[in-house]
Amino acid sequence: MEHAKVMILADKSESGLDPVTYELLQMGRKLASDLQGSLAAVIIGHGIGQAVEEVSQYADEVYSIDHARLASFSPELHASLLGQLCRKIAPAVMLIGATPENMDLAPRFAYQMGVQVVTDSVQFAVEPETGHLLCTKPVYGGRIISVFKLRERPYTATLRPKAVEPIDKPLSGKGQIIQFDPEIDESLAKIEVIEKIKEEGVDLNKAEVIVAGGRGVRNAEGVDHLRDLVKALRKYFGSVELGASRPLVDTHLVPSSLQIGLTGEKVSPQLYIAVAISGSLQHLTGMLGAKKIIAINNNPDAYIFKVSDYGVVGNFENVVPALKRKLEELHEGVADNSLRKTSSRPGRSG
Amino acid sequence: MKELQIIVCVKQVPDPEGPADAFSVDLEAKQVVSTGIAPFLNPFDENALEAALQIKDNHAAKITVVSMGEKLAQPVLRKVLAVGADDLVLLTDSQFKDIDSYSGAYVLLTAIKRIGPYDLILTGRQSSDWGFGITGLHIAEMLQIPAVSLARKVVIEDGSVIVQKASKNGLDVVKAPLPALVTVSNEVGELRYVASVLANRAAAKKPITILNAADLGLEQELKGREIFTLSVFHNEKKCRLIDGGSAEEKGRNLAVIMKEDGVI
Repeated sequence: MEHAKVMILADKSESGLDPVTYELLQMGRKLASDLQGSLAAVIIGHGIGQAVEEVSQYADEVYSIDHARLASFSPELHASLLGQLCRKIAPAVMLIGATPENMDLAPRFAYQMGVQVVTDSVQFAVEPETGHLLCTKPVYGGRIISVFKLRERPYTATLRPKAVEPIDKPLSGKGQIIQFDPEIDESLAKIEVIEKIKEEGVDLNKAEVIVAGGRGVRNAEGVDHLRDLVKALRKYFGSVELGASRPLVDTHLVPSSLQIGLTGEKVSPQLYIAVAISGSLQHLTGMLGAKKIIAINNNPDAYIFKVSDYGVVGNFENVVPALKRKLEELHEGVADNSLRKTSSRPGRSG
Repeated sequence: MKELQIIVCVKQVPDPEGPADAFSVDLEAKQVVSTGIAPFLNPFDENALEAALQIKDNHAAKITVVSMGEKLAQPVLRKVLAVGADDLVLLTDSQFKDIDSYSGAYVLLTAIKRIGPYDLILTGRQSSDWGFGITGLHIAEMLQIPAVSLARKVVIEDGSVIVQKASKNGLDVVKAPLPALVTVSNEVGELRYVASVLANRAAAKKPITILNAADLGLEQELKGREIFTLSVFHNEKKCRLIDGGSAEEKGRNLAVIMKEDGVI
């Protein structure tokens, strides 16, 4: 069999590389070894020298497509250039990070290449007998795990961010850097970017802890209970944020930017406290990545308890304020203890 | 200004607000089975329809909704028409079941060509069941028209569509000449609720066109999804229920246990 190349699309961010790039490299390395081939990467942009250098520490080959016209992302141009490169290099696999930009790029690329694309995959394997690519993709809000088989090369798929570990071991040597001169067809770029707006706001993705309210939080007072709990937890964690399921957002008690779920953010914090949330498919899609889940719900049969580590069956209006006060108390207790320790140290007092 | 022709592509799915354990797998048929869950419009498709209605609030526009797949349930169908869609085209055929995204886009394409001239095509950004997020972009590629994805707001201005779209760091405002296709995200807003008897009565009188594969004159073979395996994800955990004589006591006990277990 010919030498198989596994290609990944490295994603440049403002401050170097998007974290998903390292995850793509890790997954690409594994597939390259399964296919007894090599790992190649491509970066498309302008002024990407440093990013190319960085990626060359992990990939055997790095294709640099550097052009002033590519400074800002154009799904049309970027997809077409990725197609140009793939038609020349003929990789066996093309892995792309499932970022908002690439959700636009990947289907266009696949269409051009006449292949299928499995989006938002979390795991890949090579089918030993055929060498086909098997892509694992959670569907139906993560309730069902599907495995799709890709038969046509380049096997094309997008990888959900944070689904696999990032690569940690650089190559012993350095990968080869290859400049690829693109043919840019301006007529393809039909979309014009008028303005770029940076949004500060709450970044639920970066929160260590999320306290999320659901349908059962019926009024502003209920939301206040949640905000109080958020404040109490901030004594323990650096970043604690309020979140919400779709029914709570629909009441307009909280802004839609806090929505977690299929239609909303997908989060994976250390700790997720689901308050008065029943556990619909729509909501679970957004939060099952949480390391620890605590559910507070007055319905003992609520599905949310089945996916939680800890559960409290009870009215949240009673549970949450008591929980909040006790958390504060325990925290003060810690502070007091440390004070006592300091003051009881011998030889300190006059 | 002439009447804008807007086509909205929708699909019926099992209600994603349903409990997760209502979904299981028929291993032999490689199909997902849902029990006791009402059919619903894919939430992002509802957003797409809302985006169309928002445009219609400000422009003379005709909205044609095209639904592919399962036969729409009556309540779903009435809702679509009651909120203000002018025409409904249903594409139903056993051949359309479980086809892949490319084939789905192709079926919709043939229907769109049949509907006639269009200025704007709207689809949901992805479906709540399989969630590929491909159909809209493929339709645009097939029609060779510009496509903008993940729209948070859609406005028509002087023969162009102006879209606020989600990006990695916030949002981009982009502009594309009509005709164009836009995939819509939830930030556009919930599909409006229309409860009036009049609207419902009017909806009952609106024309519905039903087309099957033969009517569409498909020239390409439809392909099924290449599913290798399907399984139910058992994410069930052993949930430790917190004891206590009252809700307050349970709350306090939870705090203590969180501390003991090193959760905090």
